[in-house]
Amino acid sequence: MPNDIGTEATSPLSFDEAFTLHHRAVFRTARAVVRDSALAEDVTQEVFLRLYRNLHATPGDDLLRAWLLRVTLNVARNTVRGQNRSMVRDNEYQKSSVENGFNVDAPEEDYERRQAIEEARRALDKIKEPMRSCLLLKQQGLSYREIANTLSLKETNIGSLVARGRKEFARVYGKIGGRR
Amino acid sequence: MTRCLDEATLQSYFDGELSGEIVERATLHLASCSTCAAAAREMEEEINLLMTALAPELEASVPTERLRERIDASVLDHRGGFASAHQQSGFGAFISSLLSFGTQRTLGYASLVMLLAFAGIFGFVKYHTATPPQQPESIAKTTAPVVNSPKQVDTAATPVPTEIKGTGVVAQAPNKKSNSVYKPARFTAARFTNRVNPAPTTAVEPVKLLPGERAYLKTIAKLDSTIEANRNLMRPSLQVEYERNLAVVDRAIAATRSAAKKNPNDPDTADFMFAAYQSKVDLLNTIADARLGGGRSH
Repeated sequence: MPNDIGTEATSPLSFDEAFTLHHRAVFRTARAVVRDSALAEDVTQEVFLRLYRNLHATPGDDLLRAWLLRVTLNVARNTVRGQNRSMVRDNEYQKSSVENGFNVDAPEEDYERRQAIEEARRALDKIKEPMRSCLLLKQQGLSYREIANTLSLKETNIGSLVARGRKEFARVYGKIGGRR
Repeated sequence: MTRCLDEATLQSYFDGELSGEIVERATLHLASCSTCAAAAREMEEEINLLMTALAPELEASVPTERLRERIDASVLDHRGGFASAHQQSGFGAFISSLLSFGTQRTLGYASLVMLLAFAGIFGFVKYHTATPPQQPESIAKTTAPVVNSPKQVDTAATPVPTEIKGTGVVAQAPNKKSNSVYKPARFTAARFTNRVNPAPTTAVEPVKLLPGERAYLKTIAKLDSTIEANRNLMRPSLQVEYERNLAVVDRAIAATRSAAKKNPNDPDTADFMFAAYQSKVDLLNTIADARLGGGRSH
């Protein structure tokens, strides 16, 4: 079981470096789970606060992303329980972000893209765990080793899980109305 | 590679997770096996579909600035909460905070220990002293401060009025109950004056002055001679105060000078020594002013 994130410390990153390198993966993974940008921000904030509290005990550079994304998945799953996922709230978030001057896409410019996101999300929802998380993390660019560490799985099983998840996604996505 | 590729191996092949040797064999097999080649093409299409479907999600913008602001704020809150929790957790936390040694805190503790040591020695000395020290030295014999041998024990049962060095003035030491008279080491106040040494017991070797020390010694000698020449005008209470403060400053000079000698390349030790000398100059100036004021008032 490659659940040895905390023991394979290499050169530790500073908190700032960790944020710069990994906040995108954390935010996107969180958003993929909670389906809400505002909640994803909450999750990202919580994840990095946990990193700050445990900076001395976190793994080194090569496995820090896996540690962060494991925490992200846990926090996001806890956050999403009882939350009402809706595109309406995400639209409001996008609107307020634009009004506040933050660099977030305006909804009128990416309605089609957001529809595509929703279709992909619905297809992902149909895929069972841990295949869904394997796909999600693979799309974030994680290696099999990192995925195994993040999800506490055997590294030798990741290829098979990704393959099954990808196959299932293609099937469901075609049914939903995707491009297949 | 003669065996066909299973799904996991094929997926790993596309994901770049196979080692170089296995990749080479898999590539050779795909070139020769139409079944596996068809499976590979189908897998490649599905991978492209997956990537295309998830691309908008991955390409959606990330509010980096806002995240940075929020995380910075939460970290600051965490620090503040941690600090206040530390403050509110009672005596134990207070003690543990005292025992956590940073560089500045260590220096602070060291200074406190030095001050307490000086105060303790001085208190002990004053408690047992009946007479002021009688260890003047001739400037002809020494040109720099020397720490004298610190103790002389008399057998007098009570404090005895003692003549202050070279002045003819009798100073009454504090009347403490003691069976012995402890004479503290006096340092340098009279050492650079032309006082008569009534009974020099040991020959003092000349001490090499440290750079910058001579100017302070000259100033101190002038002030000291001025004070001593008019010491009969000094009120007894002021004399006691003067002796006490002088002993403290002299010990500080001795300690810092010793450190400066041991660490000639460390500018901090020299700074500490000069600070101690400056304290003595300030003290002598204060005493001289007070004495003159007292003289005028009489």
